[in-house]
Amino acid sequence: MTRPHQALSRRTLLKGAGAALALPWLEAMDPGTLRASEAPRPKRLGILFMPNGVREDQWTPTGTGREFKLSKTLTPLEPLKDELLIPTNLWNQASDYGDGHYVKTSGFLTCQTISKSLGFDLNSNGISMDQIAAAGIAGQTPLRSLELAIHPVSIGVDTNVGYTRVYGSHIAWSRPTRPLAREINPRLVYERLFRAAYPRPEKNQYQSLLLDRVLDDARQLKGRVGQADQSRIDDYLESVRSLEKRVEEASRSEGKTWKPLVDMDPGVKPSGIPREHAEHVRLMLDMIALAFQTDTTRVCTFMFGNAVGNTNFSFLEGVQGGHHSLSHHENKEENLVQYQRIAQWHVEQYAYLLSKLKAMKEGEGSVLDHSMILFGSGLRDGNKHSPRNLPLVLAGRAGNRIRTGQHLKFDRLTPLANLYRSMLEAFDTPMDRFADSDGLLPGVLA
Amino acid sequence: MNHSPSRIEITPATAFSKPLRHWKLIPLTLLLQTTLLVDSQESGVRFIQSYCVSCHQPPRPKGKLDFSTVTSEKQIVSRALDWDQYVARVRQGEMPPDDEDVDQPSHDERQTFVRWIESTLREAACENGIRPGPAITRRLNRSEYSASVRHLLDIHFDAGEALPDDGAGGEGFDNAAETLFLSPIHAEKYLEASQTAVEYGFADTRSNRRFLTAQPSDTLSPQAAADDILESFLPRAFRRPVSPEEHQAYREVFDSVYHKEPSFALALKTTLSAVLVSPKFLFIIEEPNPHPHPIPVSPHELATRLAYFLWGAPPDDELQQVATEGRLHESETLRRQMLRMLEDPHARKVRSFAQNFIEQWVGTRVLGREFRPDPSIKGYDSELEGGMKYEPVFFFHEILQENRSLLDLIQADYTYVNRRLARHYGIQGTFREQPKRVEITDQPHRGGLLGMAAILAISSHPHRTSPVLRGKWILDTLLGDPPPPPPPDVPGLEAEATGRAPTSLRERLEVHRQHPTCANCHDRIDPLGFSLENYDVLGRWRTTDQGHPIDPQASLPDGTSFSGPEALKRLLLDRKEPFLKHLTKKMLGYALSRGLTHEDYCAVDEIVTELGHNGFRSHALLWGVINSVPFRYKAGSNPETGVTLNTAETIRHD
Repeated sequence: MTRPHQALSRRTLLKGAGAALALPWLEAMDPGTLRASEAPRPKRLGILFMPNGVREDQWTPTGTGREFKLSKTLTPLEPLKDELLIPTNLWNQASDYGDGHYVKTSGFLTCQTISKSLGFDLNSNGISMDQIAAAGIAGQTPLRSLELAIHPVSIGVDTNVGYTRVYGSHIAWSRPTRPLAREINPRLVYERLFRAAYPRPEKNQYQSLLLDRVLDDARQLKGRVGQADQSRIDDYLESVRSLEKRVEEASRSEGKTWKPLVDMDPGVKPSGIPREHAEHVRLMLDMIALAFQTDTTRVCTFMFGNAVGNTNFSFLEGVQGGHHSLSHHENKEENLVQYQRIAQWHVEQYAYLLSKLKAMKEGEGSVLDHSMILFGSGLRDGNKHSPRNLPLVLAGRAGNRIRTGQHLKFDRLTPLANLYRSMLEAFDTPMDRFADSDGLLPGVLA
Repeated sequence: MNHSPSRIEITPATAFSKPLRHWKLIPLTLLLQTTLLVDSQESGVRFIQSYCVSCHQPPRPKGKLDFSTVTSEKQIVSRALDWDQYVARVRQGEMPPDDEDVDQPSHDERQTFVRWIESTLREAACENGIRPGPAITRRLNRSEYSASVRHLLDIHFDAGEALPDDGAGGEGFDNAAETLFLSPIHAEKYLEASQTAVEYGFADTRSNRRFLTAQPSDTLSPQAAADDILESFLPRAFRRPVSPEEHQAYREVFDSVYHKEPSFALALKTTLSAVLVSPKFLFIIEEPNPHPHPIPVSPHELATRLAYFLWGAPPDDELQQVATEGRLHESETLRRQMLRMLEDPHARKVRSFAQNFIEQWVGTRVLGREFRPDPSIKGYDSELEGGMKYEPVFFFHEILQENRSLLDLIQADYTYVNRRLARHYGIQGTFREQPKRVEITDQPHRGGLLGMAAILAISSHPHRTSPVLRGKWILDTLLGDPPPPPPPDVPGLEAEATGRAPTSLRERLEVHRQHPTCANCHDRIDPLGFSLENYDVLGRWRTTDQGHPIDPQASLPDGTSFSGPEALKRLLLDRKEPFLKHLTKKMLGYALSRGLTHEDYCAVDEIVTELGHNGFRSHALLWGVINSVPFRYKAGSNPETGVTLNTAETIRHD
């Protein structure tokens, strides 16, 4: 692959990053005035899902409001404390059924109960909040959303509990019956972002023609298959149509509505899937940062692991064994220590992404300032599998819409859906109703 | 020991002591049950009255389900699909709920009730002949996509490499129609992959021979050359004859490009890429059946089913030819095609079938992925991983290709090892990195799936063995009788980190089994696993574990005592029915690429009977599946109509 804009000047770069930066004297101006005069920055929504829960006595910060002290597990976030909003006592009532993991994974962002199914009539019964956000801003970026993971879809069906493991491998649902496929290879993510950011019109010349043929075939088929199968053909039609739109947009010689905010550096292209888990995770987080920085997409979900994920964390000092096995700690201190260490490692990775976004200057602030990055798990304690008082951290101000720098302790059993509604509000894609939400979370929105 | 398959075989007449159609009355895992099933409508209804009705009754039945009026099998049969769901919840221990004020049935009561419902539904389903499923519509999965592109362009290039991977549904395979979703990312990936593949095909002379059947010349116009190419390419891509209109539509793509830019190559590449992105290529699509009654699938549909079943690839030219001639539904022709396809001189396609099936059935696909042994387990490296991974694949490939007994899966005197795995097992001889067949009559601990390192590993924790996981693997994977998940809030059965504990794992497990809630299931699970304790995490033979001598003694709830893997295998061979039945279910589910229904189980019963008459040979299983009503027919608009065997026979010999 060649780099299309090899000789992109610093000047152009600065233009992309906001012309205001090019003028040193502006820096001395009152930040408030400046912000008002600046073009609004795109907002980004990222969600990092961790399987298997946390050691509960070492998660929740002490003290509430602005005066709080991070717990041991959250210490990696110390330098970013002002960027955080930590909500305590939220629960996902809809996932308090069924089994210990699948319901809590597929239902994490939908706040609905999945149907028990080995595949036939698979249904999450909801649309995940990231996809509601993505639908609200569809068309503003080349990629509607990005779904990333580390592990392939877990193999097989779980006959013990009667769920297909598809449920445990997906958090993003664009329709109740459609989980979104995830990309696990960082090289392919990079290439996809690159293709989206720099379409090659010369290559696309006849793509519209080609896609027209495909659309026509799909329409013919729709009349031929049974009622139940039409939705699959529809899914494909939709997929091809949105691609066609992109191709058309790319081949337009003028009036383009989208350009990458900053240039992509082919030097950071990953070579493939590293064997080491930690490196793999870092590369995927780099891709999220790149996608957000270039504005190739504004919505991204990432799964550190699938439900019941038994990733071996022996690479951490003092840890021996798989994540899921250790999450069944039986309240034995020797297990709890390791379980805590694994959760803390995940928080370190989260902190890495936040720092990276914070270091990416954008206008007066950073990409992080214009983002909302949620970290969380679908259950609190791996030994109990309870979706009460979920471990969650939100970071980034979403363009001054989120009041960060606080630990908010809500009434017990406050719906998680209230947090999601608040986030959607901050993202400018509000929903009057979402699952079991009964309002916005007080104190979150600025 | 060292049973050779021929000595284990039992003559058909004595193979099964009871007529097979009564199997449904025998608990699937007779050997592991504490009581025999006493099945009756009366006790079933009593169960509902005792354990369900207190919540599910007027005026406000929980979940809007009123069970207070259920008094007969007829009522259950009339709402079979719903009852499937209800009984699953009881089987998995979700119902009755674990609340203080709700009475809990005993383990035996629960089992008896579940089996009553299941056999009631099954019996009703088989009454009017076997009902096939509807016409298939599904997209190709990733590996089928790669194989299909390879077939069309003859390229040595994995076109599907960049596609997202597929999950599994139904019987646990990634070809299941129900879980082959389409995300927005797919179109983008298909477009990219098709263009790369076509470019690759154009650049390769060998590949050219496959699809560039004509070149424009002084005597052949570019349009005529394109027609020539499309004429063979389209029916191969769509796996059926193509109408003149369809041909014309693709010719128009060629013309439009050629009109703008008169380059034959460019116009053809665009056209062929369009074919590869068309849903007619990417989806297996069968014509819906307009009649109320079931009809046979069309010859090309049958060819497609057959090819993706036995090869994971599209029909080749010969198979398409036979289909075009309309002869594929003839029993003899169909059987001959099956045998030809299994011969597969390059072995690649049948091996891919063997691999897709066995790795997903027995679960070894997780090796090196979800399952990696802990670094504290010494001796694991990539060559060993390869040897472990491919042992069951090559082994099963031989069973399929050489028509061996399916009971070889339990006990055999041969296996496949590479250099590293041979050393691991202590097998003498010259080996290389590629697995090689080896006779193991002098290897008492090997032979059959249960002696394979890959299986012993994936049923362990990363850092130590687990009798519970291995026992569960046998019940779930080999016998199709998965134990329910542990109820919430029970004490953990296994402590972590054996070495640091004062007593052996066995002693601690036995203490836990004194807990009555746990004993219900663990009395069935743990003994099976204990008999395999002589194998370590990587399947190496050992006599001690962390200083504790291994004790492979086991005794089942029915009093049967045995010791060690050889005895376990004998036990499984003595009571082979549940194993064969489960394997047949898996194979039929894989072949139909969907989850099975009660209607399909009728076909399973028939196939298993045939297996008994054919020495449990693999070809009897494959033929039974291919010749079955669900494989050869599609349902009509009236789902109640079945195909009786006589009808099937008639059509078979039309």
